[in-house]
Amino acid sequence: MINIDGLSKSFGSIKALDNLNLNVKKGELLGIIGPNGAGKTTAIRIICCILKPDHGDVMVDGYSIHKDPLKIKSIIGYLPEEPNLYERFKARDLLKYFSELYGVPRADINPRIDELLELVGMTHRAEDRINTFSKGLRQRIGIARALVHDPKVIIFDEPTMGLDPATSQTIRHFIDQLKGDKTIILCTHYMDEADQLCDRVAILNHGRIRDMGTPHDLKSKVHADIILTLRVKNPLPSDQEAISGLTSVEAIEIGGDKYIISLNSRKEISKIIDVLGSRVLAVNTKEPKLEDVFISTLENRGMR
Amino acid sequence: MNFITITRWEFKNTIQSRKFLLIFFLQISVLFLMLMVFNSFAQNMENNEALSITPSLSGFATLDVNDQGALFSKRLNSEVLNIENSTYQQAWNRLARGLTTGFYSVPPESVELVQNGDQVETVLYLDYRDPKRSVVQEEVNSTTRALSSALTTSYLESSRPQNATKPPGVTQTTSGESVPLQIIRKVMLAVLLFLPLFLFGNLIIDSLVGEKERKTGEILVAMPLTSADIIIGKSLAVVMIMALQVGMWMLILLAAGFSLKNPGFVYLMVVLTAIPLVGLTTIIAAYSKNYKEAGIGLTFAYVIISGILIIPLLGYISRQSFGANVSPMTLVMRIFSGEIIAPAEILLSLSFIVVFSLLSYGISVALFRRDDVVFGPRPGILRIILDLMGLKRHKNRSK
Ligand SMILES: Nc1ncnc2c1ncn2[C@@H]1O[C@H](COP(=O)(O)OP(=O)(O)O)[C@@H](O)[C@H]1O
Ligand SMILES: [Mg+2]
Repeated sequence: MINIDGLSKSFGSIKALDNLNLNVKKGELLGIIGPNGAGKTTAIRIICCILKPDHGDVMVDGYSIHKDPLKIKSIIGYLPEEPNLYERFKARDLLKYFSELYGVPRADINPRIDELLELVGMTHRAEDRINTFSKGLRQRIGIARALVHDPKVIIFDEPTMGLDPATSQTIRHFIDQLKGDKTIILCTHYMDEADQLCDRVAILNHGRIRDMGTPHDLKSKVHADIILTLRVKNPLPSDQEAISGLTSVEAIEIGGDKYIISLNSRKEISKIIDVLGSRVLAVNTKEPKLEDVFISTLENRGMR
Repeated sequence: MNFITITRWEFKNTIQSRKFLLIFFLQISVLFLMLMVFNSFAQNMENNEALSITPSLSGFATLDVNDQGALFSKRLNSEVLNIENSTYQQAWNRLARGLTTGFYSVPPESVELVQNGDQVETVLYLDYRDPKRSVVQEEVNSTTRALSSALTTSYLESSRPQNATKPPGVTQTTSGESVPLQIIRKVMLAVLLFLPLFLFGNLIIDSLVGEKERKTGEILVAMPLTSADIIIGKSLAVVMIMALQVGMWMLILLAAGFSLKNPGFVYLMVVLTAIPLVGLTTIIAAYSKNYKEAGIGLTFAYVIISGILIIPLLGYISRQSFGANVSPMTLVMRIFSGEIIAPAEILLSLSFIVVFSLLSYGISVALFRRDDVVFGPRPGILRIILDLMGLKRHKNRSK
């Protein structure tokens, strides 16, 4: 659906994108994660035909950004990083204005707006001005605005940045609801968000893709182990030997009643529990997170 | 036709905004105030109470005057000139003996002439051997200017008077004055008619620079619209608001008793002039990063535009040259004065408007299309000019 081919863009002496290549399949939700200044927003702006690249091309649904920018703009719904809306507009008027700009047929505008207000839970605030809304409410209207023309492709640039956890979760829920029939790009620097929502994740830094894959694949690439932490009543010196004899155990560290065990597989967790029997007071496992992948990817490339 | 959507919404939102309504009525009241001031000024003129401002040079030179109506002699600055009321013959004697620097002759029926709206022919003779003559000439000039609103000093080349009794070295200078008050009224009216165009620069600035300052522009440029749609859509809304204000203003002027012939034509010309004016403002708005920059740019631009409009108008009053019709203000003044205007003159004014409009909107769109101008890092003005010229050269080559 989206083919990014050899994209480069510099701002003066800053190289924001450096020969970027990326494919997004139809109906896929692709996450782009990367630290601040990685070039996420620049890449997205080029896809949306807002910026022109120095080199390279992007094809969206068969149209080239160089030849058919208007066509591409009309099939993309874009939520920018700073989705500032016209403060003096009422929510409904704002959506109406953008519907008209997108050329939505007159008869479809009102039903579509009602549907979107319903989706983002803003029906009761439709007649209020944007300047009376909190950040979270603005973001809901911003999402509705990006969807007024029922776009094939939706691009979110850090949609939950600066929102409280509950509101972020609501926004993620909206995005999750769009999954399936829309092709979506989600830029974020929250790993949990990418992990929770994305079919595939691309790690971007210094204008290049550093790694790419499903969240699961990426996580399994880092050999960060499963960390099992136990609290044990009456620790025995023989425990250490018994546990480290298990094949999947890579290391064990005992400090008082606290056992920290590194495992390369979760299969033998129950065996460990068996060794200790009823003396186990508490069990805690920590699995590798996308965050670990992200950090290790950047570290491996000496990028941090 | 996407720009129509922008125009409709921008217009509607501006008209509905409380801040705008406030400005709108404030402007109308300021214009009212100007009318009142102007009327009292005109009254003073009629009552011969106009002031002339000249630095004090107490009794610097002597001027003999023959002005039975006292239209001019009353206003000559007695701080600078010793005024001697003389007859023609007395003056010649005094000139010959070096007792006076010049002789100023005003027809005895001058006051009636002015009241009837006719020309007053005055003649100034100066002793060209006397270096003080330039001061005398300047004083007479400024007095006649005060009478003719500082606008109508059309001095003819000095020529030898026919009078044989003239002493040697004395030269004649003639000044042919049009009726001062009528001219002031006309120029004032022309300026007032165009004034609303200069009062709404902030609207276009707000509409374009505001998008950058408030960071709403990114969504707008992500719309399936061309740069031309955005620029023209927004400009058209401002032109429409100006048209509204000019219309109201014309009604007020008519109600205040100004005679405006061909009001429809006058209105059309003023509104047409708004188009290139907004175009130029749009260039500034498209390039500026913030309100401050735009404000500075706007001030410069408006000084230049007022010059382009007013100078030909003044030129027309003194010379009636064809070229002065380049300024729509000249044309408007002539239209509301009921003059018959040749098609070529209208064409000149219109082509000025068309050329200026094409140029200004062309440049605005070319600027707004550039992502470096809109998102930065913004190139310098010189760089842009070179690029624009390069673009044109390129187009020519491809033809
Ligand atoms: N308009 C601009 N002018 C100058 N530098 C820019 C501009 N936009 C982006 N950059 C630079 O390009 C790099 C990539 O920025 P961006 O794409 O915004 O990164 P991200 O969205 O991943 O945080 C950064 O170093 C940023 O400073
Ligand atoms: Mg960004």
